[in-house]
Amino acid sequence: MESSEHLGLSNQDSPEVVPSLIKFIDSNEVVGFDSDEDKNLENQYQTGFHSLTPSATETETAAVHSQSGHSHQRTCSISISMPSSPLEVHEQNSKRVLFRDHDEQIFNNRIAHSYVPSTNGGTKQAKFLSAPIPAGSAFDEAVALGLFPNRPVLPPKNPRIERLKDTRFDSFKTWSGKFEKQLSHLRGKPRETGPDANSPRKVEVETLPVDRYFDALEGPELDTLRPSHYVEKLGHFCFHKVPAYKPGCKPHPVVHSCCSIVAIVFVIYMLKVIFYFEAVRREYYHPIRINFFFAPWIALLFLAIGVPPSVAQNLHAALWYILMTPIFCLELKIYGQWMSGGQRRLSKVANPSNHLSIVGNFVGALLGASMGLKEGPIFFFAVGLAHYTVLFVTLYQRLPTNETLPKELHPVFFLFVAAPSVASMAWAKIQGSFDYGSRIAFFIALFLYFSLAVRVNFFRGFRFSLAWWAYTFPMTGAAIATIKYSNEVPNIVTKSLSVILCVIATLTVTSLLGTTILHALVLRDLFPNDIAIAISDKRPKTTRKWFHRRTVSSDKDIENYLKFSVSDGNDIEASLAPPSSITTTSIQNSGTAGTHSNQSPSGPEP
Amino acid sequence: MEDEITPHPIKITINQDPDQNDKHCSSILTRLHAGYFRITLSLGAQALLWKTLVEHTHESLALQRVLRTLPSTVILLLWWLSLFTQLTLSLLYLLRCVRHFRMVKAEFSHYVGVNYLFAPWISWLLLLQSAPSVVPKIISYRIIWVFILPVVVLDVKIYGQWFTTEKRLLSIFANPTSQISVIGNLAGAWAAAEMGWRESAVCMFTLGATHYLVVLITLYQRLSGSCRIPARLRPVYFLFVAAPSMGSLAWNSISGSFDTSCKMLFFFSLFLFTSLFIVNKECTTIVAWWAYSFPVSFLALASAEYAQQVKGVVAPGLMLVLSVLSILVFLCLMMFTAFNTNLLFRENDPNFNKSLGNTIH
Repeated sequence: MESSEHLGLSNQDSPEVVPSLIKFIDSNEVVGFDSDEDKNLENQYQTGFHSLTPSATETETAAVHSQSGHSHQRTCSISISMPSSPLEVHEQNSKRVLFRDHDEQIFNNRIAHSYVPSTNGGTKQAKFLSAPIPAGSAFDEAVALGLFPNRPVLPPKNPRIERLKDTRFDSFKTWSGKFEKQLSHLRGKPRETGPDANSPRKVEVETLPVDRYFDALEGPELDTLRPSHYVEKLGHFCFHKVPAYKPGCKPHPVVHSCCSIVAIVFVIYMLKVIFYFEAVRREYYHPIRINFFFAPWIALLFLAIGVPPSVAQNLHAALWYILMTPIFCLELKIYGQWMSGGQRRLSKVANPSNHLSIVGNFVGALLGASMGLKEGPIFFFAVGLAHYTVLFVTLYQRLPTNETLPKELHPVFFLFVAAPSVASMAWAKIQGSFDYGSRIAFFIALFLYFSLAVRVNFFRGFRFSLAWWAYTFPMTGAAIATIKYSNEVPNIVTKSLSVILCVIATLTVTSLLGTTILHALVLRDLFPNDIAIAISDKRPKTTRKWFHRRTVSSDKDIENYLKFSVSDGNDIEASLAPPSSITTTSIQNSGTAGTHSNQSPSGPEP
Repeated sequence: MEDEITPHPIKITINQDPDQNDKHCSSILTRLHAGYFRITLSLGAQALLWKTLVEHTHESLALQRVLRTLPSTVILLLWWLSLFTQLTLSLLYLLRCVRHFRMVKAEFSHYVGVNYLFAPWISWLLLLQSAPSVVPKIISYRIIWVFILPVVVLDVKIYGQWFTTEKRLLSIFANPTSQISVIGNLAGAWAAAEMGWRESAVCMFTLGATHYLVVLITLYQRLSGSCRIPARLRPVYFLFVAAPSMGSLAWNSISGSFDTSCKMLFFFSLFLFTSLFIVNKECTTIVAWWAYSFPVSFLALASAEYAQQVKGVVAPGLMLVLSVLSILVFLCLMMFTAFNTNLLFRENDPNFNKSLGNTIH
């Protein structure tokens, strides 16, 4: 894996100079830099962070400063350059830096922090930091567990690289890595010594207040959409099933592929839950990611809706109860938090991805009504409708306490269309016909679709990421609703509308699928590291800045966003404290260093 | 006030009320506030619940077995008890208006106290509805307007302030007790529908439903500028349960059957109850505890109507569970209050007296 990692390294000679954005470094400059054949970047990470601090006019690349004096130990870190604001940066720089370090001497429990040389080029700019990606065994394990399911299995590690056990992921592991040690012990592997002596400081396992997330993270959590794109895929599968009745094409291959995808992802995520429970826990406390906990169940619900009719008759009602139970429990928790929880109030955390927690109700109502149940679907429809009203009004208000969604996450605005379209279908199923209630909901969905579709500029200007999958599910839902409506009200307008929407939805899904595969396998810039949840509960006392040098040419279009803020706006240009002040031994702190946000108001509205 | 001056250490004694009896009455009057009507509200809701359950018993055998223990005399007794309590409290509050009008005014200006001004009228409406057949219907027919009219007047005043003046900005002053005003409207709608006045019932229902939407959204948002309810008043969160239940009951009376809208409102309040049940923890004053009782009673009432419409196993079972829960809560509260009557008027309601005290003195 080391060969495929992108690590930042720097040997900074002139710390006072801010490295230029695009810096070509000869590989000879860098000690231990690997040969060219390893330059193929197999992993390009996108972190879903995006700084909203305004007024930065250029991005800077951060690099990791290698620390040790006597050995060439470098931290493996990813360098991430961050645009200061979505609009400005995009105009200036679309190139981002990727770099790797092939020397896999990893700082075991230390992440070397580099400091951005302080130059005040007259502009106060937010420095953007990168967080290190731990290389080594933890990452391999992560890959093996399939955190990046689309990646091919990577070649075995370079034997010349000392396989130091990277303990930086330990705090994410279940029982902080002890579980793993137990396992390996049980398997008879010799305990790895040395680096383990410096056991990582145990991260406080506690709930992070949502403020910390908003402090530390802003911007597109591009990696949060990973589970969701399966929702869209299955939604689209469901959509394919509807017209499949007429032309008579066989839906079975699609069924099988979707089922297998869901099963694979489930297994992978279960493994993650087992081995990296802390990471999952932190995802749960993340204000955006928590909504995606609904995604697997919605996916399964759609699968159940979309099974071939021969199977649909045999589906037992118990399946509905089984599928709705986790949704119900999650809802109790999340809506309760909105109403009376501590910090996670709606005026603060509302964002379009909250729609995912509402859509589950409507999808469940749709499935239940299709199965013939009566009261259960009405129950979930009522709950969903009430909370949808609240959320809808809140999002429309764009309260000043809400964080503005950055440009890279604009595709999730399409989720506005998803809820009313599924609600209209569900109500039609409950009532038995596409009556006025369904039509009202359908027209709302249609209006939102059009008003979003004409805003071309709103959805332009950012590169491909997994967030783009947020287009597919709502488009598909709207297309299905239009089909049902045109069945009820058959005339030329509705029929042509349904055809157009179907074509658009199908095209979107196929092109997204193709682009995803392209980016995942060929360009390999799709799956970021999980820095979104790698924040600690404490802010570091000192401001730490990162910078890295580009080690590879910047042909690759990687946009990595990492939120950075200084605790004190004045010392944004200040030089960093020497590495000895670094006390963190875990990725959290290193991630934290780069992920504190300034609480200043967000930049220009996209 | 008498000043006693002695030659040696000057001792100034200020005696506000020369009469000790007066002082005692006055202290009760000063401590009384509209929130005490929560007790009568709960009593009335409980009486209505028992009456409804007994009425429905005729249809369900299972229920008969359970409810055979509720003889009609007990129900009558409960009704008379609630009537007596209501009359006493009303009288005391009237006296308070007379003697300490400034305090009543201060209550009206307080963002929580004003909502409890709806409570007496809701209690009267519930009492009228749960009246046993001893009380002739003709009286209810006329008297009901006496109680609905103040609700409308308060509506006009308070809701008007929400969207016109700067005095009571909803974004700042919305709190869970704002739902009591909504419950008042819905209770009026329910009572009117029971009497047969459909249009008035629909009118009141619309008022209640519209403002409920506004209040619900505002409360869910929990805007950062808004006033906080002290943690010790957590029982007010149960008002979230009461409002949709009351709405479902009202619409049930208006439309004649427990149709889908009623079901949706009932399910929504059931969901809120479940989520609050898990979360809700503490409270301090006895009067605040009474705020647990009537929302659960309303929910049980709605479930009784629901069970009447939907046969089967789940619905009557739900009704049983909720009714039993409501009765248990009520009985516990009764016993606790009975054993601690001394605490009833002695406590300082943290949300009332402290802030009210500042405005008065």
